[in-house]
Amino acid sequence: MVEIAAVAIDAETLSTREVNALIRSRLQGGATEIIVENPNARHNLAVALLQPGRVRFLGSVGYYCGGLMDGAEIHVQGSAGWGLAESMSHGSVVVHGGAGNGAAAAIRGGTVVIHGDAAARLGVSMKGGLVLVGGDCGYMAGFMGQKGTLVVCGNTGAAFADSMYATTCYVGGAIGNLGTDAVIETLTPEEAGMLNGLLAEHLPPAVRATKPAGRDFKKVVAGRKLWNFDKHNWKTWQDAL
Amino acid sequence: MCGILGYFRKHPGTDAQLGATMLNMLQALGRRGPDSAGVALVGPAHRAGCIVRVTAGGELEMTPQAIEANREAIQVFAASLHGASDLSSIGGYVRFVLNGDVDLLAFTQAIESIGEGIEVLSIGHAMELSKEVGTPHLLEGKHHISAFAGTHGIGHTRLCTESMVDLSHSQPFWGRGAADVAIVHNGHITNYHQLRRKYEQRGVRFMTENDSEVLAVYLAESLNRGETLRQGLDGVLRDMDGAYCCLAVTATEMGFVKDPYAFKPLVVAETDDFVAVATEEIAIRSALSGDYEVSEAQVEEVRVWSR
Repeated sequence: MVEIAAVAIDAETLSTREVNALIRSRLQGGATEIIVENPNARHNLAVALLQPGRVRFLGSVGYYCGGLMDGAEIHVQGSAGWGLAESMSHGSVVVHGGAGNGAAAAIRGGTVVIHGDAAARLGVSMKGGLVLVGGDCGYMAGFMGQKGTLVVCGNTGAAFADSMYATTCYVGGAIGNLGTDAVIETLTPEEAGMLNGLLAEHLPPAVRATKPAGRDFKKVVAGRKLWNFDKHNWKTWQDAL
Repeated sequence: MCGILGYFRKHPGTDAQLGATMLNMLQALGRRGPDSAGVALVGPAHRAGCIVRVTAGGELEMTPQAIEANREAIQVFAASLHGASDLSSIGGYVRFVLNGDVDLLAFTQAIESIGEGIEVLSIGHAMELSKEVGTPHLLEGKHHISAFAGTHGIGHTRLCTESMVDLSHSQPFWGRGAADVAIVHNGHITNYHQLRRKYEQRGVRFMTENDSEVLAVYLAESLNRGETLRQGLDGVLRDMDGAYCCLAVTATEMGFVKDPYAFKPLVVAETDDFVAVATEEIAIRSALSGDYEVSEAQVEEVRVWSR
């Protein structure tokens, strides 16, 4: 079979259902890269993609792009709306601009990279994977995170890393304020090196150059006070609820 | 759901494309609100007087004969006013220019007492409000908003969740008693009943059961007290509970406020030429070409642009 390198789809005159069906059939047909022109910030693009392959959107996407995905690689050359890559299993989503509320919420694995800012509820309830934001993030990022790594190069909004289980967060800028049971832990030299590696791998060199060095990040984890109910610790629970 | 949008042109002078841009944005948000559509558009100011827009009644609740009788009565009333000019009507809407200073609330009540179903939709030197039950397409068909030349405006497509679907409950809402003030809102004001009771005890008259109306009442009062739009929107954060994004215009400004939990979406695009704000990016991209970034507003964010 002859390998088809890149295939272009013009979304302008197609329904979202047709665009998604075309992406799937072209990937199944052996294309390695699908280029979608004129996505026009439309919702539900590339949702539930279950095969490997690269999809590149030449413009902004709307809500839920890359949601429920398993194994594909999505590039958005614009910004993304709410629920980017929500509940993704594996794969990667890269957004060149900013992302709306609930980006990378409940992901189980894979990588979500946002070059710009993320809005509220970034990476809430994530169960694995890596979320890396080049800019700032909004209110309540990391809430109830269970596993995985959340990296924010810029500043965070209020209630950061609230009520977490075992997500590890790293913040390059200022923390708006820490959420319930979130604590700052000392960053090890190994972690600083790991962060330098992640930033070099996932951000373009020109963008990376403007971000803090790995050693300047703050590490935030759960204080584990909410992991098991303790009636003597009622005040903490009252505040959390 | 509901969709809200705002467009503000930074260049001096009026933009002949304002109405067309607003219509394109409104149509892109049509899916979010099939119940009604409306705009508050700010045009060149009438220095001498105020543009008054009155509805003779909604088609859902009244017979065509009753609306026509009201319309004629409003026209007779307007023609009898000393200093009224430019009298015209489209469908159940009557529009005229009122010259000279009047007490806006007393004048509004005088017109509304002419007949059941009559409601003043807006009064302003520069701002005009049009809304209809139905789609943006229907709004355009009746009011030709695309032909409106001006500087800035806000719009709304409504998905009714609590109160009724009729013209009166549609948005935008005029800040009754304050010239050139209007709001659009997406969300729920959860302490609405408390606030409404407080206002009603002071004699403020509410026209609808729509919780968004309290935002218009609140901002009108704030601006009439001499506060700035920014102060008014900061006050919304202090005094309103719930999930909300609210956009507001005055004769020279446009601003928004987003609630403390970011429960409702609102994105912003700003260039050297314009500011566009909308519930979804799709509304901005479908109306405005060019290379610009769009970003989600943050919690408790208040922004105001002035001319």
